[in-house]
Amino acid sequence: MILYDFAFRETFAAIFMVAGAIFFIASAIGMLRLPDFYMRIHASGNSETMGCMLSFIGLIIYEGATLTSLKMAIIFIIVFLANPIGSHILSKAAYKSGHKMWTLKDLRKEEDEDADLHH
Amino acid sequence: MEKECVLKDTKIVGSPIVHLLGMTIVLFAFWMGLAGRTEIKFIIYGLIAAGVASWITYPLLLLPNKDGSKKYFALSISIPKFISYVVWLMWQLLLANLDVMKATTSEVLDIDPKVVRFYFRVDNPMAAVVLADSITLTPGTVTLNVTDDGLFEIHALTVGAAAGIEDGSFQRKVADLYGEKLDFEVVEGEE
Repeated sequence: MILYDFAFRETFAAIFMVAGAIFFIASAIGMLRLPDFYMRIHASGNSETMGCMLSFIGLIIYEGATLTSLKMAIIFIIVFLANPIGSHILSKAAYKSGHKMWTLKDLRKEEDEDADLHH
Repeated sequence: MEKECVLKDTKIVGSPIVHLLGMTIVLFAFWMGLAGRTEIKFIIYGLIAAGVASWITYPLLLLPNKDGSKKYFALSISIPKFISYVVWLMWQLLLANLDVMKATTSEVLDIDPKVVRFYFRVDNPMAAVVLADSITLTPGTVTLNVTDDGLFEIHALTVGAAAGIEDGSFQRKVADLYGEKLDFEVVEGEE
C-alpha cells in the first residue's frame, strides 16, 4: 500500500514537471524564432510563468507537505513578483532609447528583398 | 525640522497601527517558516526582528498620491479580493501562455506585434503598479512605459493579446481590487 501511494504521487509530480518542461521548450523555440528584442521578451514570459509554476507544483507534490515545500512556494512567489519587473525594465530601456520595433510591414519588406535576390 | 512620528500622520489611509501589526505578523510567519524550529529563543528573536524590520521599512512603503493629500500603504489590500484576483490572473496566464505557445510554435509565425496605448487613471499608485506588473507577467503583453498622468504603453505580440488589453478586463479587475472608480480609455492610432 505504501509503495502504491508513493508511485501515485511520483506520477502526479512527473506529469506536472513534464508539462512545465513543455512550456520551457516552447519558450526556447520562441526565443530562437521571433525576429526582434521586444518579441523575445514575450517568449521568455512563457517559461517564467507557466513553466516555472508547473515545475514548482511538481516539485512540491513530490516533496509533500514539509517545510521544504513551503520554501519552494516562497521562491516561486518571489520569482512571480520579481520577474515582470526585470522584463519591464529591459523593455522600458529599449523603448526609451528608441530601439526599432519590428512589425508586419518589415516582414513584407524582407520578403520583397528576398524575392529580388532570387530573380 | 522635527521628524513627525508616522503614528500621528493623518494623511495615511487606514490605521498605521493595524498596518504595522499586520506587517509584523507576516514577517514573523516568514521567519518561522524559514527557521522551522519552535524553541522560545527563536520565537523571541523572530518577534524582535519582525517588529524592528516593519518599524524601519514602514515609512518607505507609504506612497503619496498625485496631489499629495493622501498616503497609501503599499501592502494594504483586501485579502479575499486579492485571492480572487490571483485566481483570475492564473486563469488568464494559462490562456495567454497557450496563445503565445501556439503563435510561436506554429509553422508560420502567427504574430502581429504592435503597441497598444491606453489611459488608466487611479489615485492609488499601487493600482498602477499591480496593473503594469500583471500585464507584463502575462505572456504576449509587456508594459513598455507608464507615465505620471496614467498613460500605459503596452507591446502586444498577437492579435488576441492586443484585444485582451483593449477590452479592459484587466483594468476593471485592478480598479475593483483597489476599490477605485474605473477611468480607462484606449488611445487610438499610431504614435
